[in-house]
Amino acid sequence: MVNIGIITDKFHLEHKISEFLKYLKTKAKVTIYIEESCILGSNYLKTDKDLFFVKGKGKIIIALARLIENETTIPVINSPRAILLTMNRFLNSTLLQKEGIKIPDFSFIPYDYPPPFEDFIVKNIIDQKKYKFRPLIKKNNGHINVFDERAINEVDNEKENYRYFYYQKFIKSKWEYKVYGFGEDLFFYKQIPILVNPNKMETRKKIDEIQELKEMSLKAMKIIDLKAASLDFLKSKSGEYFLTDVNSLPNFNYIENGYKKFADFLISQAKK
Amino acid sequence: MKIGILSKRTGFFTEKLKESFENKGHNVKVYTKENLCINKTLLENDLYVMKSKDQIPFVYAGYYAEANGIPVIPNTEISYKHKNRLEAHLLIKNVGSLLSPPYYYGTIESLKNNLKDKDFPLILKPTTSSGSVGIKVINSINEIDAESNEILYLEKFINGTHYIVYFIGNEICTLEKVPLENEHSEMTKIDTSEDIKALIFKWKSKYNLLFGHLDIVKEIYSGKLYIVDSGTFPQFVNWKCEGDPASKIANLILKKYEELKSKL
Repeated sequence: MVNIGIITDKFHLEHKISEFLKYLKTKAKVTIYIEESCILGSNYLKTDKDLFFVKGKGKIIIALARLIENETTIPVINSPRAILLTMNRFLNSTLLQKEGIKIPDFSFIPYDYPPPFEDFIVKNIIDQKKYKFRPLIKKNNGHINVFDERAINEVDNEKENYRYFYYQKFIKSKWEYKVYGFGEDLFFYKQIPILVNPNKMETRKKIDEIQELKEMSLKAMKIIDLKAASLDFLKSKSGEYFLTDVNSLPNFNYIENGYKKFADFLISQAKK
Repeated sequence: MKIGILSKRTGFFTEKLKESFENKGHNVKVYTKENLCINKTLLENDLYVMKSKDQIPFVYAGYYAEANGIPVIPNTEISYKHKNRLEAHLLIKNVGSLLSPPYYYGTIESLKNNLKDKDFPLILKPTTSSGSVGIKVINSINEIDAESNEILYLEKFINGTHYIVYFIGNEICTLEKVPLENEHSEMTKIDTSEDIKALIFKWKSKYNLLFGHLDIVKEIYSGKLYIVDSGTFPQFVNWKCEGDPASKIANLILKKYEELKSKL
Protein backbone atom coordinates (compact mmCIF):
# COMPACT_ATOMS: atom_id res chain seq x y z
CA MET A 1 0.00 0.00 0.00
CA VAL A 2 1.26 3.46 -0.90
CA ASN A 3 2.32 5.54 2.09
CA ILE A 4 1.22 9.18 1.82
CA GLY A 5 1.93 12.11 4.14
CA ILE A 6 -0.53 15.00 4.16
CA ILE A 7 0.84 18.36 5.33
CA THR A 8 -2.01 20.67 6.17
CA ASP A 9 -3.58 22.96 8.76
CA LYS A 10 -6.64 22.74 10.97
CA PHE A 11 -8.75 24.87 8.61
CA HIS A 12 -8.19 22.69 5.54
CA LEU A 13 -8.48 19.52 7.58
CA GLU A 14 -11.86 20.51 8.98
CA HIS A 15 -13.39 22.23 5.95
CA LYS A 16 -11.78 21.10 2.72
CA ILE A 17 -10.42 17.57 2.69
CA SER A 18 -12.63 15.27 4.79
CA GLU A 19 -14.22 13.38 1.83
CA PHE A 20 -10.86 13.21 0.11
CA LEU A 21 -9.19 11.73 3.20
CA LYS A 22 -11.97 9.20 3.73
CA TYR A 23 -11.49 7.95 0.18
CA LEU A 24 -7.68 8.14 0.21
CA LYS A 25 -7.51 6.03 3.37
CA THR A 26 -9.23 3.16 1.52
CA LYS A 27 -6.37 3.16 -0.99
CA ALA A 28 -3.27 4.30 0.91
CA LYS A 29 -1.67 4.48 4.30
CA VAL A 30 -2.10 8.11 5.36
CA THR A 31 -0.28 10.18 7.97
CA ILE A 32 -1.39 13.74 8.65
CA TYR A 33 0.96 16.52 9.75
CA ILE A 34 -0.91 19.53 11.12
CA GLU A 35 0.79 22.91 11.00
CA GLU A 36 -0.46 24.07 14.38
CA SER A 37 1.14 21.16 16.21
CA CYS A 38 4.26 20.67 14.11
CA ILE A 39 7.69 21.56 15.38
CA LEU A 40 10.54 21.46 12.91
CA GLY A 41 14.16 20.92 13.78
CA SER A 42 17.52 19.77 12.58
CA ASN A 43 16.83 16.09 13.15
CA TYR A 44 13.17 16.04 12.28
CA LEU A 45 13.16 14.12 9.06
CA LYS A 46 13.09 10.36 9.21
CA THR A 47 10.29 9.26 6.97
CA ASP A 48 9.16 6.22 5.02
CA LYS A 49 6.58 8.07 2.91
CA ASP A 50 6.16 7.54 -0.83
CA LEU A 51 4.66 10.98 -1.41
CA PHE A 52 3.75 14.15 0.46
CA PHE A 53 0.71 16.22 -0.44
CA VAL A 54 0.72 19.83 0.75
CA LYS A 55 -2.69 21.36 1.43
CA GLY A 56 -2.07 24.78 2.90
CA LYS A 57 0.16 27.82 2.54
CA GLY A 58 1.29 28.53 6.09
CA LYS A 59 4.94 29.17 6.91
CA ILE A 60 5.41 25.91 8.82
CA ILE A 61 3.72 23.94 6.05
CA ILE A 62 6.02 25.39 3.42
CA ALA A 63 9.07 24.98 5.66
CA LEU A 64 8.31 21.30 6.24
CA ALA A 65 7.81 20.74 2.52
CA ARG A 66 11.10 22.52 1.89
CA LEU A 67 12.97 20.31 4.37
CA ILE A 68 11.51 17.17 2.80
CA GLU A 69 12.50 18.38 -0.64
CA ASN A 70 16.00 19.27 0.51
CA GLU A 71 16.73 16.10 2.40
CA THR A 72 14.85 13.32 0.61
CA THR A 73 13.87 12.23 -2.90
CA ILE A 74 10.21 11.82 -1.96
CA PRO A 75 7.85 13.66 -4.36
CA VAL A 76 6.13 16.69 -2.82
CA ILE A 77 2.92 17.95 -4.43
CA ASN A 78 2.97 20.86 -4.83
CA SER A 79 6.62 21.72 -4.40
CA PRO A 80 7.44 24.55 -1.96
CA ARG A 81 8.82 26.59 -4.86
CA ALA A 82 5.50 26.25 -6.70
CA ILE A 83 3.54 27.24 -3.59
CA LEU A 84 5.74 30.27 -2.95
CA LEU A 85 5.48 31.38 -6.57
CA THR A 86 1.70 31.12 -6.64
CA MET A 87 1.42 32.93 -3.30
CA ASN A 88 3.63 35.77 -4.49
CA ARG A 89 1.54 37.16 -7.30
CA PHE A 90 4.24 39.49 -8.58
CA LEU A 91 6.80 36.70 -8.85
CA ASN A 92 4.57 34.37 -10.83
CA SER A 93 3.47 37.24 -13.10
CA THR A 94 7.11 38.03 -13.82
CA LEU A 95 8.01 34.42 -14.52
CA LEU A 96 4.94 33.67 -16.65
CA GLN A 97 5.42 36.81 -18.72
CA LYS A 98 9.08 36.00 -19.26
CA GLU A 99 8.13 32.54 -20.55
CA GLY A 100 5.61 33.95 -22.99
CA ILE A 101 2.30 33.27 -21.24
CA LYS A 102 -0.20 36.01 -21.96
CA ILE A 103 -1.03 37.79 -18.71
CA PRO A 104 -2.48 41.26 -18.17
CA ASP A 105 0.08 44.08 -17.83
CA PHE A 106 1.13 44.54 -14.23
CA SER A 107 3.12 46.90 -12.06
CA PHE A 108 4.35 46.84 -8.47
CA ILE A 109 4.65 50.32 -7.02
CA PRO A 110 4.46 52.22 -3.70
CA TYR A 111 0.82 52.53 -2.62
CA ASP A 112 0.86 56.34 -2.73
CA TYR A 113 2.00 56.52 -6.37
CA PRO A 114 -0.56 57.26 -9.12
CA PRO A 115 -2.12 54.16 -10.73
CA PRO A 116 -0.21 53.00 -13.81
CA PHE A 117 -3.34 52.02 -15.79
CA GLU A 118 -6.71 53.67 -16.42
CA ASP A 119 -8.61 50.42 -15.86
CA PHE A 120 -7.06 48.30 -13.16
CA ILE A 121 -7.49 45.82 -10.38
CA VAL A 122 -5.32 46.02 -7.27
CA LYS A 123 -4.80 42.51 -5.93
CA ASN A 124 -3.34 41.33 -2.65
CA ILE A 125 0.41 40.82 -2.82
CA ILE A 126 0.84 37.61 -0.86
CA ASP A 127 -2.09 35.24 -1.19
CA GLN A 128 -1.60 33.33 2.04
CA LYS A 129 -4.48 34.11 4.35
CA LYS A 130 -7.73 32.14 4.27
CA TYR A 131 -10.16 35.02 3.83
CA LYS A 132 -11.61 35.63 0.41
CA PHE A 133 -11.43 38.19 -2.37
CA ARG A 134 -13.64 41.19 -1.50
CA PRO A 135 -13.66 43.73 -4.29
CA LEU A 136 -14.25 47.45 -3.84
CA ILE A 137 -15.33 48.68 -7.26
CA LYS A 138 -15.06 52.33 -8.33
CA LYS A 139 -16.09 53.91 -11.62
CA ASN A 140 -13.67 56.71 -12.53
CA ASN A 141 -14.55 58.80 -15.63
CA GLY A 142 -15.80 55.73 -17.43
CA HIS A 143 -12.87 53.60 -16.25
CA ILE A 144 -13.12 50.74 -13.83
CA ASN A 145 -10.88 50.68 -10.76
CA VAL A 146 -11.06 47.65 -8.47
CA PHE A 147 -9.32 47.24 -5.12
CA ASP A 148 -9.16 43.93 -3.33
CA GLU A 149 -9.92 44.80 0.29
CA ARG A 150 -7.10 42.47 1.33
CA ALA A 151 -4.58 44.60 -0.57
CA ILE A 152 -5.68 47.71 1.32
CA ASN A 153 -5.56 45.84 4.63
CA GLU A 154 -2.03 44.67 3.88
CA VAL A 155 -0.87 48.25 3.37
CA ASP A 156 -2.72 49.49 6.47
CA ASN A 157 -1.53 46.65 8.66
CA GLU A 158 1.34 47.70 10.90
CA LYS A 159 2.62 44.10 10.99
CA GLU A 160 3.39 44.08 7.29
CA ASN A 161 6.57 45.90 6.47
CA TYR A 162 5.61 46.92 2.98
CA ARG A 163 3.57 49.73 1.54
CA TYR A 164 3.05 48.51 -2.01
CA PHE A 165 0.24 47.79 -4.43
CA TYR A 166 0.22 45.14 -7.13
CA TYR A 167 -1.69 46.59 -10.10
CA GLN A 168 -3.04 44.40 -12.87
CA LYS A 169 -4.57 45.92 -15.98
CA PHE A 170 -8.31 45.23 -15.96
CA ILE A 171 -9.57 42.91 -18.70
CA LYS A 172 -13.27 43.22 -19.42
CA SER A 173 -14.66 39.76 -20.13
CA LYS A 174 -18.13 38.29 -20.45
CA TRP A 175 -17.01 35.03 -18.81
CA GLU A 176 -14.38 34.00 -16.36
CA TYR A 177 -12.78 30.68 -17.31
CA LYS A 178 -11.55 28.26 -14.69
CA VAL A 179 -9.26 25.35 -15.44
CA TYR A 180 -8.42 22.70 -12.83
CA GLY A 181 -5.32 20.65 -13.47
CA PHE A 182 -4.29 17.36 -11.84
CA GLY A 183 -1.13 16.52 -13.73
CA GLU A 184 -2.12 16.53 -17.39
CA ASP A 185 -5.82 15.98 -16.69
CA LEU A 186 -7.63 19.27 -17.12
CA PHE A 187 -11.22 20.20 -16.25
CA PHE A 188 -12.81 23.26 -17.86
CA TYR A 189 -15.49 25.56 -16.45
CA LYS A 190 -16.80 29.05 -16.99
CA GLN A 191 -18.80 31.44 -14.86
CA ILE A 192 -19.97 35.04 -14.79
CA PRO A 193 -17.00 37.10 -13.52
CA ILE A 194 -16.97 37.36 -9.77
CA LEU A 195 -17.07 41.17 -9.99
CA VAL A 196 -20.48 40.90 -11.66
CA ASN A 197 -21.84 38.03 -9.60
CA PRO A 198 -19.94 37.31 -6.38
CA ASN A 199 -21.64 33.92 -6.06
CA LYS A 200 -19.32 32.14 -8.45
CA MET A 201 -20.99 28.75 -8.18
CA GLU A 202 -24.41 30.11 -9.15
CA THR A 203 -23.37 30.56 -12.77
CA ARG A 204 -20.51 28.08 -13.05
CA LYS A 205 -20.90 25.49 -15.79
CA LYS A 206 -18.74 22.72 -17.14
CA ILE A 207 -17.53 23.39 -20.68
CA ASP A 208 -15.72 21.47 -23.39
CA GLU A 209 -11.97 21.65 -23.60
CA ILE A 210 -10.65 24.86 -25.18
CA GLN A 211 -7.40 24.09 -26.95
CA GLU A 212 -5.82 27.49 -26.27
CA LEU A 213 -6.61 27.33 -22.57
CA LYS A 214 -5.31 23.78 -22.42
CA GLU A 215 -1.97 24.80 -23.90
CA MET A 216 -1.66 27.86 -21.69
CA SER A 217 -2.61 25.91 -18.56
CA LEU A 218 -0.19 23.05 -19.11
CA LYS A 219 2.60 25.46 -20.01
CA ALA A 220 1.96 27.64 -16.93
CA MET A 221 1.84 24.59 -14.66
CA LYS A 222 5.14 23.38 -16.07
CA ILE A 223 6.80 26.79 -15.68
CA ILE A 224 5.73 27.09 -12.05
CA ASP A 225 6.26 23.37 -11.32
CA LEU A 226 2.62 22.81 -10.35
CA LYS A 227 1.29 19.26 -10.38
CA ALA A 228 -2.09 20.40 -9.06
CA ALA A 229 -3.53 23.81 -9.83
CA SER A 230 -6.49 25.95 -10.63
CA LEU A 231 -6.04 28.71 -13.18
CA ASP A 232 -8.30 31.68 -13.97
CA PHE A 233 -8.59 33.24 -17.40
CA LEU A 234 -10.41 36.20 -18.91
CA LYS A 235 -11.15 36.74 -22.60
CA SER A 236 -10.66 40.25 -23.97
CA LYS A 237 -12.92 41.94 -26.50
CA SER A 238 -10.43 41.03 -29.21
CA GLY A 239 -10.78 37.35 -28.30
CA GLU A 240 -7.43 36.89 -26.54
CA TYR A 241 -7.23 34.80 -23.38
CA PHE A 242 -5.30 36.21 -20.44
CA LEU A 243 -4.18 34.19 -17.43
CA THR A 244 -5.17 36.29 -14.42
CA ASP A 245 -4.62 34.00 -11.42
CA VAL A 246 -2.85 30.79 -10.51
CA ASN A 247 -3.60 28.80 -7.38
CA SER A 248 -1.64 25.89 -5.94
CA LEU A 249 -4.54 24.62 -3.80
CA PRO A 250 -7.31 23.69 -6.22
CA ASN A 251 -10.60 23.01 -4.49
CA PHE A 252 -11.27 19.58 -5.97
CA ASN A 253 -14.69 19.53 -4.29
CA TYR A 254 -15.97 21.74 -7.14
CA ILE A 255 -15.38 18.92 -9.64
CA GLU A 256 -17.72 15.95 -9.88
CA ASN A 257 -16.00 13.17 -7.92
CA GLY A 258 -13.04 15.54 -7.76
CA TYR A 259 -11.74 14.17 -4.47
CA LYS A 260 -11.61 10.65 -5.95
CA LYS A 261 -9.93 11.82 -9.13
CA PHE A 262 -7.40 13.79 -7.15
CA ALA A 263 -6.66 10.97 -4.70
CA ASP A 264 -6.10 8.56 -7.62
CA PHE A 265 -3.82 11.12 -9.25
CA LEU A 266 -1.75 11.46 -6.06
CA ILE A 267 -1.35 7.70 -5.75
CA SER A 268 -0.16 7.57 -9.36
CA GLN A 269 2.56 10.11 -8.51
CA ALA A 270 3.95 8.25 -5.48
CA LYS A 271 7.57 7.19 -5.41
CA LYS A 272 7.85 3.82 -7.10
CA MET B 1 27.16 52.16 -17.28
CA LYS B 2 23.96 52.68 -15.28
CA ILE B 3 23.88 50.96 -11.92
CA GLY B 4 20.94 50.62 -9.54
CA ILE B 5 21.52 49.93 -5.85
CA LEU B 6 18.61 48.25 -4.05
CA SER B 7 18.91 49.45 -0.48
CA LYS B 8 16.83 50.30 2.59
CA ARG B 9 18.95 53.37 3.19
CA THR B 10 20.77 55.93 1.08
CA GLY B 11 23.53 56.53 3.66
CA PHE B 12 26.11 54.35 5.39
CA PHE B 13 27.73 51.71 3.19
CA THR B 14 25.31 52.35 0.31
CA GLU B 15 26.55 55.93 0.05
CA LYS B 16 30.18 54.81 0.03
CA LEU B 17 29.47 52.19 -2.61
CA LYS B 18 27.64 54.74 -4.75
CA GLU B 19 30.62 57.09 -4.52
CA SER B 20 33.01 54.28 -5.46
CA PHE B 21 31.03 53.50 -8.61
CA GLU B 22 30.67 57.19 -9.47
CA ASN B 23 34.40 57.72 -9.05
CA LYS B 24 34.88 55.14 -11.77
CA GLY B 25 32.57 57.08 -14.09
CA HIS B 26 29.29 55.18 -13.65
CA ASN B 27 25.81 56.61 -13.17
CA VAL B 28 24.27 55.30 -9.98
CA LYS B 29 20.74 55.48 -8.62
CA VAL B 30 19.77 54.22 -5.18
CA TYR B 31 16.32 52.58 -4.99
CA THR B 32 14.71 52.54 -1.55
CA LYS B 33 11.19 51.55 -0.45
CA GLU B 34 10.17 55.15 -1.11
CA ASN B 35 11.07 55.35 -4.79
CA LEU B 36 11.33 51.78 -6.08
CA CYS B 37 8.73 50.99 -8.75
CA ILE B 38 9.04 47.48 -10.12
CA ASN B 39 8.02 47.70 -13.74
CA LYS B 40 9.58 48.49 -17.11
CA THR B 41 11.28 51.60 -15.65
CA LEU B 42 13.77 49.27 -13.95
CA LEU B 43 15.02 48.06 -17.32
CA GLU B 44 16.92 51.30 -17.85
CA ASN B 45 19.86 50.06 -15.74
CA ASP B 46 22.63 47.67 -16.81
CA LEU B 47 23.30 46.20 -13.38
CA TYR B 48 21.72 46.00 -9.94
CA VAL B 49 23.47 45.66 -6.61
CA MET B 50 21.29 44.04 -3.95
CA LYS B 51 22.42 45.75 -0.78
CA SER B 52 19.21 45.00 1.18
CA LYS B 53 17.36 41.71 1.12
CA ASP B 54 13.78 42.44 2.22
CA GLN B 55 11.56 40.26 0.08
CA ILE B 56 9.27 43.20 -0.63
CA PRO B 57 10.36 45.14 -2.52
CA PHE B 58 14.09 44.32 -2.99
CA VAL B 59 13.98 40.59 -3.71
CA TYR B 60 11.01 41.22 -6.00
CA ALA B 61 13.04 43.86 -7.85
CA GLY B 62 16.04 41.55 -8.18
CA TYR B 63 13.83 38.77 -9.48
CA TYR B 64 12.28 41.12 -12.04
CA ALA B 65 15.68 42.41 -13.18
CA GLU B 66 17.13 38.92 -13.59
CA ALA B 67 14.02 37.72 -15.43
CA ASN B 68 14.64 40.53 -17.89
CA GLY B 69 18.30 39.71 -18.38
CA ILE B 70 19.84 42.31 -16.07
CA PRO B 71 22.50 40.93 -13.68
CA VAL B 72 22.00 41.33 -9.94
CA ILE B 73 24.98 41.06 -7.59
CA PRO B 74 24.79 39.31 -5.15
CA ASN B 75 22.21 37.28 -7.06
CA THR B 76 18.58 37.31 -5.98
CA GLU B 77 18.27 33.70 -4.89
CA ILE B 78 21.32 33.71 -2.65
CA SER B 79 20.24 37.03 -1.12
CA TYR B 80 16.74 35.68 -0.39
CA LYS B 81 18.13 32.53 1.18
CA HIS B 82 20.48 34.45 3.46
CA LYS B 83 17.56 36.51 4.72
CA ASN B 84 15.34 33.52 5.51
CA ARG B 85 16.53 31.81 8.68
CA LEU B 86 15.50 28.32 7.61
CA GLU B 87 16.95 28.65 4.12
CA ALA B 88 20.18 30.01 5.61
CA HIS B 89 20.36 26.92 7.80
CA LEU B 90 19.96 24.74 4.70
CA LEU B 91 22.70 26.68 2.91
CA ILE B 92 25.09 25.75 5.71
CA LYS B 93 23.90 22.15 5.84
CA ASN B 94 24.18 21.75 2.07
CA VAL B 95 27.88 22.61 2.06
CA GLY B 96 28.32 19.22 3.66
CA SER B 97 31.02 19.62 6.26
CA LEU B 98 29.96 22.84 7.98
CA LEU B 99 28.04 23.01 11.23
CA SER B 100 25.17 25.14 12.39
CA PRO B 101 23.49 24.83 15.79
CA PRO B 102 20.40 22.60 16.16
CA TYR B 103 17.16 24.59 15.93
CA TYR B 104 13.43 24.42 16.59
CA TYR B 105 10.83 26.10 14.40
CA GLY B 106 7.12 26.25 15.24
CA THR B 107 4.31 28.17 16.86
CA ILE B 108 4.66 29.15 20.49
CA GLU B 109 2.01 26.56 21.38
CA SER B 110 3.77 23.69 19.64
CA LEU B 111 7.12 24.74 21.11
CA LYS B 112 5.59 24.80 24.61
CA ASN B 113 4.24 21.31 24.06
CA ASN B 114 7.46 19.85 22.71
CA LEU B 115 10.42 21.54 24.40
CA LYS B 116 11.76 20.28 27.71
CA ASP B 117 13.79 22.08 30.38
CA LYS B 118 16.96 20.29 29.25
CA ASP B 119 16.63 21.89 25.79
CA PHE B 120 17.43 25.35 27.19
CA PRO B 121 19.17 27.78 26.98
CA LEU B 122 18.09 28.65 23.45
CA ILE B 123 18.49 31.74 21.33
CA LEU B 124 15.36 33.34 19.94
CA LYS B 125 16.00 34.76 16.46
CA PRO B 126 13.71 36.60 14.01
CA THR B 127 12.59 34.23 11.23
CA THR B 128 13.41 36.62 8.40
CA SER B 129 16.46 38.55 9.35
CA SER B 130 20.19 38.26 9.33
CA GLY B 131 22.61 39.89 11.72
CA SER B 132 22.13 39.97 15.47
CA VAL B 133 19.21 42.40 15.55
CA GLY B 134 16.33 41.19 17.72
CA ILE B 135 17.97 38.08 19.12
CA LYS B 136 18.03 37.09 22.79
CA VAL B 137 18.87 34.19 25.07
CA ILE B 138 15.87 32.28 26.45
CA ASN B 139 16.22 30.11 29.52
CA SER B 140 12.61 28.94 29.64
CA ILE B 141 9.71 28.91 27.20
CA ASN B 142 7.80 31.15 29.63
CA GLU B 143 10.23 33.98 28.88
CA ILE B 144 8.81 34.29 25.38
CA ASP B 145 6.10 36.86 24.91
CA ALA B 146 4.33 35.88 21.68
CA GLU B 147 0.84 35.46 20.26
CA SER B 148 -0.34 31.84 20.12
CA ASN B 149 -0.09 31.59 16.33
CA GLU B 150 3.24 33.41 16.08
CA ILE B 151 5.99 31.35 14.48
CA LEU B 152 9.33 31.32 16.24
CA TYR B 153 12.85 30.17 15.46
CA LEU B 154 14.89 29.00 18.42
CA GLU B 155 18.49 27.89 18.16
CA LYS B 156 20.68 25.96 20.57
CA PHE B 157 23.05 28.25 22.45
CA ILE B 158 26.67 27.31 21.74
CA ASN B 159 29.00 28.15 24.58
CA GLY B 160 32.14 29.52 23.01
CA THR B 161 34.11 32.38 21.52
CA HIS B 162 32.19 34.54 19.05
CA TYR B 163 33.65 35.94 15.84
CA ILE B 164 32.47 37.98 12.94
CA VAL B 165 34.45 37.13 9.83
CA TYR B 166 34.29 39.46 6.84
CA PHE B 167 35.52 38.37 3.45
CA ILE B 168 36.09 40.45 0.33
CA GLY B 169 37.55 38.45 -2.54
CA ASN B 170 40.36 36.44 -0.97
CA GLU B 171 40.86 38.84 1.91
CA ILE B 172 39.56 37.73 5.28
CA CYS B 173 39.16 39.98 8.30
CA THR B 174 38.35 38.26 11.61
CA LEU B 175 37.11 40.04 14.71
CA GLU B 176 36.29 38.70 18.14
CA LYS B 177 33.08 40.08 19.56
CA VAL B 178 30.91 39.98 22.62
CA PRO B 179 28.38 37.11 22.23
CA LEU B 180 25.12 38.12 20.52
CA GLU B 181 26.22 41.71 19.91
CA ASN B 182 25.50 43.06 16.44
CA GLU B 183 27.91 44.22 13.75
CA HIS B 184 28.02 47.76 15.10
CA SER B 185 29.43 46.84 18.52
CA GLU B 186 33.09 47.20 19.48
CA MET B 187 35.23 44.29 18.31
CA THR B 188 38.86 43.24 18.42
CA LYS B 189 40.72 42.29 15.27
CA ILE B 190 42.56 38.98 15.56
CA ASP B 191 44.65 36.88 13.21
CA THR B 192 42.55 34.54 11.14
CA SER B 193 43.11 30.94 12.19
CA GLU B 194 43.62 28.20 9.61
CA ASP B 195 40.33 26.46 10.47
CA ILE B 196 38.36 29.71 10.00
CA LYS B 197 40.19 30.43 6.76
CA ALA B 198 39.33 26.96 5.41
CA LEU B 199 35.70 27.38 6.43
CA ILE B 200 35.39 30.76 4.70
CA PHE B 201 36.88 29.49 1.44
CA LYS B 202 34.58 26.48 1.48
CA TRP B 203 31.59 28.74 2.04
CA LYS B 204 32.39 31.37 -0.59
CA SER B 205 33.36 28.86 -3.24
CA LYS B 206 30.22 26.75 -2.73
CA TYR B 207 27.97 29.74 -3.36
CA ASN B 208 30.25 31.82 -5.63
CA LEU B 209 30.23 34.72 -3.20
CA LEU B 210 32.40 37.75 -3.95
CA PHE B 211 32.08 39.12 -0.41
CA GLY B 212 30.02 38.77 2.74
CA HIS B 213 30.33 37.72 6.34
CA LEU B 214 29.82 34.80 8.68
CA ASP B 215 29.18 34.89 12.41
CA ILE B 216 31.03 31.95 13.88
CA VAL B 217 31.20 30.46 17.37
CA LYS B 218 34.08 28.24 18.40
CA GLU B 219 32.65 25.87 20.98
CA ILE B 220 34.74 25.80 24.14
CA TYR B 221 34.62 22.10 24.96
CA SER B 222 34.93 20.67 21.43
CA GLY B 223 36.79 23.41 19.54
CA LYS B 224 34.27 22.96 16.69
CA LEU B 225 33.23 25.94 14.59
CA TYR B 226 29.51 26.65 14.27
CA ILE B 227 28.09 29.14 11.77
CA VAL B 228 25.38 31.07 13.63
CA ASP B 229 24.65 33.72 11.03
CA SER B 230 25.55 34.58 7.47
CA GLY B 231 25.16 37.69 5.38
CA THR B 232 25.64 38.63 1.75
CA PHE B 233 26.13 42.32 2.38
CA PRO B 234 27.19 43.51 5.83
CA GLN B 235 27.90 47.17 6.56
CA PHE B 236 31.60 46.37 7.05
CA VAL B 237 31.65 48.90 9.92
CA ASN B 238 34.28 46.86 11.74
CA TRP B 239 36.50 46.18 8.75
CA LYS B 240 39.82 46.73 10.49
CA CYS B 241 41.95 45.29 7.74
CA GLU B 242 43.73 46.98 4.89
CA GLY B 243 42.01 49.31 2.39
CA ASP B 244 38.55 50.67 1.80
CA PRO B 245 35.90 47.90 1.67
CA ALA B 246 33.48 49.93 -0.49
CA SER B 247 36.08 50.47 -3.17
CA LYS B 248 37.21 46.83 -3.09
CA ILE B 249 33.61 45.62 -3.39
CA ALA B 250 32.83 48.02 -6.23
CA ASN B 251 35.86 46.64 -8.11
CA LEU B 252 34.77 43.04 -7.55
CA ILE B 253 31.21 43.80 -8.70
CA LEU B 254 32.40 45.55 -11.85
CA LYS B 255 34.78 42.70 -12.65
CA LYS B 256 31.99 40.16 -12.15
CA TYR B 257 29.68 42.21 -14.37
CA GLU B 258 32.25 42.15 -17.17
CA GLU B 259 32.56 38.37 -16.81
CA LEU B 260 28.80 37.93 -16.97
CA LYS B 261 28.53 40.25 -19.96
CA SER B 262 31.22 38.37 -21.87
CA LYS B 263 29.28 35.12 -21.39
CA LEU B 264 26.13 36.56 -23.00
